Amino acid sequence: MFGFFNKKYDNPALLEEMKTRQERWFAFLDKLEARMQELTTAAIPGLREIFDQDADPYKRAHSNMLQGLLGQINHMRQKANDIKDEQIIDFVYQAEAMVPAVTSTVGRDYHNRIMNFRMACLNRHYIFDEKLNKCIQRLQLAAGERDLERAYQEQLRAFESIRDKFSCRQCGGNITIEKMFFIDTYVTCPFCHSQNTFSPSTGARMILHDARALAEQRTAHLRRAYEKSDPREPELEKVYLRAMIDEWNKIIPDMAEENEKFYQRLLREQYFHHFK
Amino acid sequence: MAEEKDNKLSSYLERLKQQAATQQHYGGDITPEEAKMDMRDCPACGAGRAFEKGLTSCAYCGFVFMDIKLTDGVNIKKENNS
Amino acid sequence: MSDNPLLEPIHGITLEDYSAACAKMGSGLSEADIAKALGVEVPVWQEANLLWPERMKQDETFHIVTLFGQYFGQADQHPKFSNLKAAVSAEGGANTDRIKSDKRFYEELEVARQVAYEYGLDGAQWIADKYGITLGDFQIAASNWNAQIHQDIAADFDGYNERQAAYRAKYQQLFADAQGGNVADDIEF
Repeated sequence: MFGFFNKKYDNPALLEEMKTRQERWFAFLDKLEARMQELTTAAIPGLREIFDQDADPYKRAHSNMLQGLLGQINHMRQKANDIKDEQIIDFVYQAEAMVPAVTSTVGRDYHNRIMNFRMACLNRHYIFDEKLNKCIQRLQLAAGERDLERAYQEQLRAFESIRDKFSCRQCGGNITIEKMFFIDTYVTCPFCHSQNTFSPSTGARMILHDARALAEQRTAHLRRAYEKSDPREPELEKVYLRAMIDEWNKIIPDMAEENEKFYQRLLREQYFHHFK
Repeated sequence: MAEEKDNKLSSYLERLKQQAATQQHYGGDITPEEAKMDMRDCPACGAGRAFEKGLTSCAYCGFVFMDIKLTDGVNIKKENNS
Repeated sequence: MSDNPLLEPIHGITLEDYSAACAKMGSGLSEADIAKALGVEVPVWQEANLLWPERMKQDETFHIVTLFGQYFGQADQHPKFSNLKAAVSAEGGANTDRIKSDKRFYEELEVARQVAYEYGLDGAQWIADKYGITLGDFQIAASNWNAQIHQDIAADFDGYNERQAAYRAKYQQLFADAQGGNVADDIEF
């Protein structure tokens, strides 16, 4: 009526600022992406080498190196997040406060432009984040899985080769270790019935430590089948859990009773998660 | 410029790897040990430990090896109480 | 509580004993020292050490694990371990006392330890080298401060986050300088 709502609003400086800001943001993320890809690609051979050479049963040297690399990648994530907050999000708020109300025609036009700017910048950030997660995954998987089956079979063979090589500390009689032990235990001499203390090798102890991980490796196909089902199929999870516990019990029969109790708990929890 | 950056990256990686390989870990290195057999003789009378009389005290002089009550554990069971 | 079969002692080793033993293992005591302090032999200790975590795994109410944390924090008061301490320097001893009495000091070192790992260091070893504080003592302090820190967060979320961010920035700078900067320091908006 008064031509008020059609009053011309023009802010070329803002448009120019959005254009250059978006370009700078894209260029900034391009550079960060290039750097993290470079870092990841360059780091992988060394990461593998450390893993293969690391004699520590817990592979702590490899773990420290991996943590350091992930630290740098996450530092880049942090850097991008900080810039996004300061240079994109804050800017969007300021720009929105500056232009006419969204209820006016020109206002709507400018708000749309700001929204487009915001969406373009955030989408670009989303792509950056996806790429960053890929790098993390590549680093985590670089060394491959530990071959726990081979380590286990080696220990079985080692045990077979030593099981009848012990003698009683009291009478000197030959003692054959009846089964593989994973912790210190008392062994009775078949001749004088004295109680000896048997201490398993470090390798045998590690079998106990790695037993669940080995059982999981052996049943990974069942876990994948469950994870692929959509919607997730509780029966498939049950099949996986049962098989995993069975394998675990085969590796450490001494812990079967305890593992069974743990399995019962997992089942109760599964029931809770799927049917709550 | 690009070369300088590459050098920086590779020296960072070299350093990180070196540090990972050489730094001391909390709790120290794990030295692999062979399996072994041992025995605790009675410190009071010097006798070996007899199975029939349990694990907690000496079958001969009554010396108390362990002042506790064994329960059903992994390999050690209630029956192993003296 | 006493009717809970999951709380029954294992070979005479109670949850209090076990929790204190774990704290002391983290402070550098050997398995032989632990077994001796508990009045058992090593095979008996090793069974308890295997079975107590099983009890925790079986308990979906988290009661056992909560008590474990509580008793772990009280390890210094456990009568069976009161005379047993791994050797530490005088400075280490002072820092160890401080981390248990000065909450801010604990908060700062907890951040420092995490950031050390992010720069490829063994954080627990870094704390031991720099302050003479063992991991066991560090974790005792953690158990003791935990509840208070949760209250602090509830009371002043922003204040807590600001302090954490300042500690993070401080140690990121320290460790970054030691490795000649971060990989992407030269990339600017």
